[in-house]
Amino acid sequence: MRFSVLFHSFGYLTQAAGVTLALSLAGIALGFVLGTLVCVARLSGRRWLERLGGAYVSVFRGVPLLVLLLFLYYFLATLGLDVPALVAAIGGLRLSSGAYQAEILRGALNAVPRGQGEAATALGYAAFDRWRLILLPQALRISIPPMINEFILLIKASSLVSVVGIAELTRVSMNIAAMTYRPLEAYVAGGLFYLAINLSLAGLGGLAERRAGIGAR
Amino acid sequence: MTHPMIAMRAVGKSFGAHQVLRGVDLEVQRSEVVCLIGPSGSGKSTLLRCVNFLESYDEGEVRIEGELIGWDLDKEGERRLMAPRRLREMRREIGMVFQHFNLWPHMTALQNVVEPLVRVRGLKKDEATGRAAAMLARVGLAEKAHAHPQRLSGGQQQRVAIARALAMQPRLMLFDEPTSALDPELVGEVLEVIRALAADGMTMLIVTHEMGFAAHVANRIAFIDGGRIVDEGAPRRVFHESAEPRVRQFLQTYHDRNAF
Amino acid sequence: MNGDVLLRYAPALLGGFGVTIACWAAGSALGLAIGFAVALGAGAPSRALKGLLRVYVEILRGTPFLMQLFILYAGGPSIGLKLSATAAGVVGLGLYSSAYFSEIFRAGFAAVPRGLIEAAMSVGMAPGDILARVRLPIALVAAAPPIVNTLIVMSKETVVLSIITVPELMYQMQTMAAETFTAFDAIFAMAVFYWCLVEVVSRLGRRVEDRATAFLASRP
Repeated sequence: MRFSVLFHSFGYLTQAAGVTLALSLAGIALGFVLGTLVCVARLSGRRWLERLGGAYVSVFRGVPLLVLLLFLYYFLATLGLDVPALVAAIGGLRLSSGAYQAEILRGALNAVPRGQGEAATALGYAAFDRWRLILLPQALRISIPPMINEFILLIKASSLVSVVGIAELTRVSMNIAAMTYRPLEAYVAGGLFYLAINLSLAGLGGLAERRAGIGAR
Repeated sequence: MTHPMIAMRAVGKSFGAHQVLRGVDLEVQRSEVVCLIGPSGSGKSTLLRCVNFLESYDEGEVRIEGELIGWDLDKEGERRLMAPRRLREMRREIGMVFQHFNLWPHMTALQNVVEPLVRVRGLKKDEATGRAAAMLARVGLAEKAHAHPQRLSGGQQQRVAIARALAMQPRLMLFDEPTSALDPELVGEVLEVIRALAADGMTMLIVTHEMGFAAHVANRIAFIDGGRIVDEGAPRRVFHESAEPRVRQFLQTYHDRNAF
Repeated sequence: MNGDVLLRYAPALLGGFGVTIACWAAGSALGLAIGFAVALGAGAPSRALKGLLRVYVEILRGTPFLMQLFILYAGGPSIGLKLSATAAGVVGLGLYSSAYFSEIFRAGFAAVPRGLIEAAMSVGMAPGDILARVRLPIALVAAAPPIVNTLIVMSKETVVLSIITVPELMYQMQTMAAETFTAFDAIFAMAVFYWCLVEVVSRLGRRVEDRATAFLASRP
C-alpha cells in the first residue's frame, strides 16, 4: 500500500468527516424530536395514536435506509425542489433514526421500575410532575448507552447518503479513489476516519455512562 | 493399608489478599457422614469444593482414597496441575449436589441423569435409561421422569440432582447446602433422601445449616470459622458440650432465630 | 408504472430477488460460522488471540458496511484479491455480520450459569462434551432472539450490495427505473416490498424464538 499519494487528500477527508458528523448530528437531533413524539404517541393510551406510532416504527425500521433515501430523493425531485439531495439525506437519516429512538425511549421508560411511578403517585405528585421529575430523568439516564450506540449506527448509516451525491466521507473517498487510482488506500483511509470517530464516540459514551452511573447512586 | 475416603492436610486457599482457608485438617472415613457447619463466609463451601477440585487449593493436600486430587507432585515436591483427563476420572467417583441444583434446563429429569452415564460412563443409551429411571424411582420421582426442571418444585429438582450424582455410582457424595435454596416446606423431602443414603452406608460430606438434621444424620460435626476448623467431634458433644465460645455463640444465635 | 413494463422486467426482477435471497443466506451463513469461531476464540486463554479478535470485531463494527464493500471489491485487486461483485458482496456481508454474530454468541456463552458447567465438571464430563451438550444449547437459546434480529438487519443490508453492482433486486429495480423513467414508482415498490419482507421475517422470527425459549420461560 502507498499512502503517500493520500497525504494531500488528508484535508479533504477531514472536511468530509466534518460533513458526515454534521449530517449525523442533524439526523440524531431531529430524530430525537420525532422519536419523542412517536414514543409519546405509542404510550398515549389512545388506540389510534398507538397504532399510528406503531405503524411509523414498523415502516421506518422495515424499509432499508438506502431505499428510503432514494425514495425521498426522487419524491422531492418530482416536487421540483432545488436541494433535493441534502433534504433527502437529512430527512432520511431523521425519519429512520426517529423510529429507532422512539423504541429506545420506550424501552427506557419501561425499564424504570413500576414502583417509582407508584411511589410518586402515593406521595401525591400530579401526573405531569410525576413524568417530569421522577420518570423522565431516570428514563433518560437509562437511555444514554443505547442513544450513543444509535449515534454510532447513524454515522455508519450516513455513508449511504453518498448515493445522492453529498460530499461526505464515503463520497469523498470514492472521489479520491477515482482520482488517484489507489482505491484500496483511499477506502482504507476513509474507513480509518469512521473508525476514529466511532471509537472516540464509544469512549465518550463509556465516560458519560460512568458519570451518569455515579450520579444515580 | 486402607486410606481414608477423604484426607485433607493443612489445606490453604486465598482469593487475592483474602485468606479463605487457613490450614484445614479433616478426614472422612468410609461410610462416615460428616457435616460442616459454621457462619456464612467461614469457608465451609470452599473447603467442600476443594474435595473435587472445583476450587483449587493453594497449600496442603486433599487426598481421595490416598490419591492427591488436582495436583501432581514432581520429585522436588513442586506442584503442577494434574492432567485434565486424570482429574475427570477422579471426579467421576465423587458425586456432588449443589445449593442451586444446577440441573440442565434443556433436558428432562431423566435426560439429566442419563447424560453423564452415556458421556462419561460410556453406557449404552437404553442401559443408561434403565439405570436412570431406577435412580429417579429411588428418590421418589419415577412419575416426573419426563418433566423439564422448571416444571418441578425446588425439592423435586434437588432430588433429581441427587439421582444424577448417585447414578454415577460414586464412592462418596458432597452436598453443598442442599436445602438452603428451598422453601421451608420442601426441605424435609430432600433431607429424607440424604438420610436414606446414610443408612445405606454412603460416605458423605455435607455443608448444611440444618442443625437438627446434622445432629441426627452425622457421625461427626466439624465447625468452621475464619477458614479453620474450630471444633470437631460427635454431634452430641459439639452441639451440647463444646468448650469453644464461637461454637456456643453460633448455636445460640441459631436457636434464637428458630425459636418461636 | 404500467403492467407492460413490469411484465417485461419480471424475469430480471425475479432473478434479482433470487440473488438477494441467495446473498442474504450465504452471507449470513458465513457470518454465523465466522462469528461462532470468533466467539470460541475469544473464550480461549490466549491473550494475544483475544486482543486480535477484539480488534477484528471493533474494526468491522466501527466502519460502514459500504466502506467495507468498497475496500473488498474496489481495493481488493491491488493486493491480488479479485472478486466478482457478487462474491465480494457475499464475503463482505459475511465479514460484516460476523462481528455482530460473534458478540451475540459471546454474550450467549456468558449467559450460561456457572453452576451448570460446574455440575457437568463434577460428574467428570470432558470439555468437548460440556461445550456440545451443556454450554452450546443454553447459549443458543439465549442467542436466538438477537440472532433473528441481526438476520433481519442483514436482509436490509443486502440492498447496499446494489451499489457495487451486485445484480440483486435493488439493482434490477434501478436498472428498470433508469430504462423506463419510472424511478419513483420503482423505488416505492421497493419500499413496500422490503417492509413486507421485514414484517414477515420478524413475525416468523418471533415464533421461532417463542419455541426456542419456551423451556426457559418460567425461569426467574
